[in-house]
Amino acid sequence: MFETGIRQFRMAMSMVWGRPVDPANIGRLIQDALATLAEFGTPGVDVQALTDGPFADANARAEFQNRALRRTARRLAELSPYYQGHFAANEVQPAKLDLESVSRVPVTVKADLIGRPQDFRCAGVEPVLTTRTTGTTGRPAEVWLSRYETELWPSLAGLSGLLRDEIRPSDCLQVNISSRATAAVQQDVTLCRLVGAGCRVLGVVPPEEALDSLLDGVPTLLSTYPSYLAQLVVAARERGLEPKDFRLRRIDVGGEVLSSALATAARATFGVPLVNDSFGMTEVLPVSGRSCDQGHLHHDVNMGLAEVVDIVTGEPAQPGALGTVVITPYYPYRECMPVFRYDTRDMVRVLPDQPLDCDLAGVPATTAILGKADHLLHAGGTEVTTRDLVEAYEALPTRPWPARFAVAVRDGRLALTVPAAALDGYGEAAAVGHFADRGLDVALSVVPDELAIGLRPLRCDLRETTFAVPAPAGA
Amino acid sequence: MPNLLVPQTMFTLVCVLVGAIGTSAFALFYFRRVRMERPAIGTFNGRDIIVLFCFIVTLPILYLFLPHWALTSFLVLTFLASLSIGYRPVLPGGQLWLLIGLAIGGNIWIARTMLGTVAGWQAYWALTSVIVLLGASAVANLYVQGGMYLRHVAIFAFALAFYDAMFSLVIPITPLLADAFIGYPLDPSIGMRIGIYNANIGIGDLLVYGLFMIAAFKAYGRKAARIAMGLIVVFGSAMPALAPLLISSVTRGDANIAVPAQACFGPVALAAYLWMRRHWGPERSMREFLASDDVVRSAVPVVAATPSAPAQGRQRGRQPEPVRG
Repeated sequence: MFETGIRQFRMAMSMVWGRPVDPANIGRLIQDALATLAEFGTPGVDVQALTDGPFADANARAEFQNRALRRTARRLAELSPYYQGHFAANEVQPAKLDLESVSRVPVTVKADLIGRPQDFRCAGVEPVLTTRTTGTTGRPAEVWLSRYETELWPSLAGLSGLLRDEIRPSDCLQVNISSRATAAVQQDVTLCRLVGAGCRVLGVVPPEEALDSLLDGVPTLLSTYPSYLAQLVVAARERGLEPKDFRLRRIDVGGEVLSSALATAARATFGVPLVNDSFGMTEVLPVSGRSCDQGHLHHDVNMGLAEVVDIVTGEPAQPGALGTVVITPYYPYRECMPVFRYDTRDMVRVLPDQPLDCDLAGVPATTAILGKADHLLHAGGTEVTTRDLVEAYEALPTRPWPARFAVAVRDGRLALTVPAAALDGYGEAAAVGHFADRGLDVALSVVPDELAIGLRPLRCDLRETTFAVPAPAGA
Repeated sequence: MPNLLVPQTMFTLVCVLVGAIGTSAFALFYFRRVRMERPAIGTFNGRDIIVLFCFIVTLPILYLFLPHWALTSFLVLTFLASLSIGYRPVLPGGQLWLLIGLAIGGNIWIARTMLGTVAGWQAYWALTSVIVLLGASAVANLYVQGGMYLRHVAIFAFALAFYDAMFSLVIPITPLLADAFIGYPLDPSIGMRIGIYNANIGIGDLLVYGLFMIAAFKAYGRKAARIAMGLIVVFGSAMPALAPLLISSVTRGDANIAVPAQACFGPVALAAYLWMRRHWGPERSMREFLASDDVVRSAVPVVAATPSAPAQGRQRGRQPEPVRG
């Protein structure tokens, strides 16, 4: 208990003063947490302060964020060739940055990262692992990680996961994300090792194989993309599987829009109480976001600054307005190839300026991710986001999961191209009415099902082949 | 010599029994009913015993060199901490601090103004005893509710047996320490005075008895608690109290007695633990204890937050989930 206190103090001091966090110390805290859970069954009081930071007080949080911003910018001005030039060109003075003035620093975009990757690497930091974005939204970017980062991130994730009961030593995590997402896969494998849980990395294999794996009674957690989850749900329903056939207690998804219809279907099919829609992005790791019981996206305030920037003005978005999430991971959480004010192009709306009453009320929040800013449409005088379309489309009674459609605006209307199966037995007129009920004025075009995959690239299309022979149906 | 030694010994026996039984029983009463706050992470382990032992070995030596004002200040801080932590789950903050202030302030006032009379001494000992009983019970609960096991207590008591014998019989620091507290506020003992007879039992011994009692109860339930109480009465109270009748080396003059109680109790505590483990198997964890019928539920209104499962929402969203490209 005394040692644990000292370890927690060391971790807190690193967080407050911005000094490198010792991953081994966090590893020992994980062992302490395991001992605590074995003895008491639950963590003690103030666990949220430990996992989310002692920043329920807005003034304390602002002070912490100002210091973290200056510290991060100072280091970048010193060690990052890209930001040396970027800050000099824009007359950024790291020592004077704060939450107000940071919005005057021009954002970094993916094209910068793709165009000058070497310039983002900090001097004196040895890269050990490269990870690439999946490229479903354009050319992939390559991000290098240091040994410190590859050790620290899983440690922090493991500690918070244990304390939030998101992972237990008795769990087995099945990972159905692209094997090329090396940072994510490495993190999953390492955090499972740290907490003593099992880890089964399958990748984006044919859904039947992933389903077979879920049916052997070992996996209790599933990490995947919404589109792949949709394929699993469809496959499970085709095989007549029910919740009693699975041991899953939790599903985590991210990287795409998760619709309410699909989340409900997944809960009913796999018998999990919730499908957690989290936010993470290779370029801004380890900063992340969590969803709450009211569907907000709560942004991590410990490891980075999340801003919402108005997509038209580039200024901080006002309550109710659409904006893109701009993230600055703080030093010492990002070491090798950090970014400053990285524009994720992921859109959210700023919540009304009033206190939250959700279960994560102490952590700042926005709406859930609504889609990429570059995919925003204007039709009939309103803004139409990818989420608007996916929510409506996946709610069709034909259950066309995952959502395959192409959309454009023609003559002020949404021209929606869908595969025939999406309307099978429902009818075009009924479908138009279905969309109209959801505020979407669409003109439908139908294409053969064989063309469906070309309508909209999804992460479930990052298919990895195997030599496995599918189990017979009903097995 | 028997004219003074026998009545003093009998009086000591009564005081020690009242102190040891009272503290153990109250600690158990509290343990069954009140849940203390504990930190988010942390459970008592073997290394904590070493840390605790180092404190116990070094602090008394420090006490001997401290001026009395500093010693009193240290004791005030110690009791403020133990009482406020221990009774925060039971009383609202305002009432708690008022009562603690009255008790400690009253003790200091009595010690400074009323010790010229037997009645003054009795008032002093009555108030001090209540403070010490409450403080020792709270600290015992803090440790055991923090994950301390019976094996830890038994090893601790066994180590203290050597310490106690060494510093009572070979290097007589314990008697010097006992003398240093006499007549000053917050003597960390339960005691009483009648006529010329004065007897007390120190908070260190009381803490060990409280720990042993509730750790045994937590580990194995009522049957172990009955055995623990029997050992506390016989080896922790009666034997040390009656020892002066047999062993003159622990007496200083006719009636000034300082007995190394842990020298009697420590080995027996360890033996009892080993016996219980052999016959009843592994000890229960706090989780198993809390799930058992040995807990008296809601008998005492608890005003502060008790440790509980984190809210549903706090269990959600595995932290960095880097699945976006």
